[in-house]
Amino acid sequence: MKKAIALCVLAIAILASVPAQAPVVPGLGSKKITINLWTHEDPNRSVIEKKYIAEFMAANPNITVNYNTYPSNRIFEALTTAFAGKQGPEIFNVSIGNAVSFIDNGRVAPVDYKALGLKGPADLEAMYLPGMLKAVERDGDFYGLPLEITNMCLYVNRKMLKEAGIDPDKDYPKTWEDLISLSEKIVKREGQIITRRGFDFRYDAYTNLFIPMVEQLGGEYVSKDGKKAIIGDEAWLKALQWMKELGPAGKNLGSPTYTAARTAFDKNDNTVAMSFSGLYQEARMKASNPDFYNSKDWMVVPFPQWKDSKKKVTANYSAHYYMVNAQSDKLAQQASWVLVGWMLSHGEEYLDKVAIIQPTKKLIESPIYKSMPYSDVFAKDFENANIVYVGKASARLSTLLSETIQNVMVGGVDPKVALEKLRKSAQEALDSAD
Amino acid sequence: MMGDRRNPLEEKRNRWGWFFVAPGIVFFSAFSLYPILYAIWTSFHNKKLLSLKPPKFIGLQNWISVLSSQDFWNSVRASAVFCIGVFIPVFLGSLLFALLISSRKKGKRFYQMALYSPAILSSVVTASVWLLIFDPRGLANQFLNTLLGTAGVDHKWLADPVMVQLSTILVYVWKQVGYYTILFGTGIGKIPSSVVEASMIDGANSWQRLTRITLPLLRPTMALVSVMIFISSLKTFSTQYLFNQHGAPLAPINVLTLNIYRTALSDQNLGKASVMSLFLFFILLVLSWLQVKAGGQGEELE
Repeated sequence: MKKAIALCVLAIAILASVPAQAPVVPGLGSKKITINLWTHEDPNRSVIEKKYIAEFMAANPNITVNYNTYPSNRIFEALTTAFAGKQGPEIFNVSIGNAVSFIDNGRVAPVDYKALGLKGPADLEAMYLPGMLKAVERDGDFYGLPLEITNMCLYVNRKMLKEAGIDPDKDYPKTWEDLISLSEKIVKREGQIITRRGFDFRYDAYTNLFIPMVEQLGGEYVSKDGKKAIIGDEAWLKALQWMKELGPAGKNLGSPTYTAARTAFDKNDNTVAMSFSGLYQEARMKASNPDFYNSKDWMVVPFPQWKDSKKKVTANYSAHYYMVNAQSDKLAQQASWVLVGWMLSHGEEYLDKVAIIQPTKKLIESPIYKSMPYSDVFAKDFENANIVYVGKASARLSTLLSETIQNVMVGGVDPKVALEKLRKSAQEALDSAD
Repeated sequence: MMGDRRNPLEEKRNRWGWFFVAPGIVFFSAFSLYPILYAIWTSFHNKKLLSLKPPKFIGLQNWISVLSSQDFWNSVRASAVFCIGVFIPVFLGSLLFALLISSRKKGKRFYQMALYSPAILSSVVTASVWLLIFDPRGLANQFLNTLLGTAGVDHKWLADPVMVQLSTILVYVWKQVGYYTILFGTGIGKIPSSVVEASMIDGANSWQRLTRITLPLLRPTMALVSVMIFISSLKTFSTQYLFNQHGAPLAPINVLTLNIYRTALSDQNLGKASVMSLFLFFILLVLSWLQVKAGGQGEELE
């Protein structure tokens, strides 16, 4: 009996390890199709996506898929240039703030529900957590499938805090004021040059991290009706002043001209004690520094609030959706949706290997999600999170915001002057967006 | 009347002339003339980069908006500061190096090659290398602090509004000085040796030969090099772009080319980007005309 059970278990294990067959694109016949896929760089993700593509190509020998990656801060420009020249890839992904202009300018094809084996939009929506497809919904149709939803929390190097005489379990930073005061305790400098940072900001994610700082104090980036920019001067000035204090023009605790804090954090080389990132950083840490990942020397804590916050707001979450080029051949569009559906059907592997979250109900309830270190911290913060601003001028507004903060932080511009300039330019951007 | 008759041989030659210049004309029309005409057309239209709708004619709106924008005039300022900041060290540095190299009997090629080598690096690679140098813990701070005896001072090469402009100028000078050294070297090489020898027989010393013979005869090359420096420095882009991507404040280094790029790609407003491009084009046109004139002057003198 025992032998029979053992054989059954073995058979199940073997069956489970056999990869599911990639889908065959219907109606392809002998036609040859080339699909170009452009996505932002993520070494861990590239590995598994290339594997899915190889399986897809094996099941569809007439389809060639070219997989290209771009640095995340360059992909928008690469895509814009390519689309303007009518050379856009068949499949692409870009952060939602930047994706809006592609959708609203008719560059993105609606999801081919049939190609995904679904009856219609309602079936698709039912697979995801509420609201997760709202940003890509137009007139009842959806224009993308979520590759990842990212909210950010604070990664803390426990060992460095302890060495600075801070109890990481009790005295970890809970407020923005704490972040500055703890940084002052940890920071080391040679003269004015910082050799060890207590905390440094994530300078490529102002819409995720800085806007909630303003919102916690009652300010707004764009009004609810989308017509007015930069509301609540007091809140904006306090948040800008905090950034100034952090930078070289203030208490000299960090600066965008140093190595990105999250990269330095993973190295655990005593250069950065705290940095913001998403759950995906765990996979990067695991790949680049497994000893540190497996140690108990790091932890993740919730997004800080102000001491006098008016409301609890956590880091805005950003989203990346896989989209299909509406100008590509119809058959290529269909094949592209089949491929996207195939890749994204591996949500658990994306989470396990890349630590990125597809917001499907199935994944959030899965044991693997619950077993990820600190996934509960990310999940709890997510309850109070909003999506980053998504509007017709979102790309322009994001650029203006970066300029403003960098001018205040390192350019020595007075926050009041910078805020006035931002208000004027942001309002112009909103007014001229059609 | 006989004089009006065309020489058949000349006519045949002219036909061949057209044949030989045709590829150049086609190339110029497709890659220069057409974009220029298209930019003029776009500057009067509400053209968005990703829009599939036909652009609307909006008259002078783009021109008024750009020419009344502080951002644009800041870019004109940034470009002007960069050009002037670059001109003096590149011009004097390359002239000095060319004079030093030409005065040497041995190793001319080696020195020319060593000076020219940064010019063959791509601008992106150059900017990336200098980003490391300008890192607060990088070589630039270490070097300057050792030189000035100011240990631990962060000179904020990428952070301070003035320093970041100086940093972009420094990178450009380092990259370009070798190229102009070669041009000056060629100019010096073209000075007839008979003139130099005659001056030596007349008893002129080195300083007199430099100030009375070399520099005056080098004037056409100087004019040409000056215009070339201005033209190429107005087209600077990669260093400013990469520095800004790595946290440097935008306003001090938002040169015209960078503003055009951001307006077209980030703001997706091709109309306004075209206005700025045409503004830059007219400046370059005037400088190119001066360059041609300077070149012609050189030929006349030769």
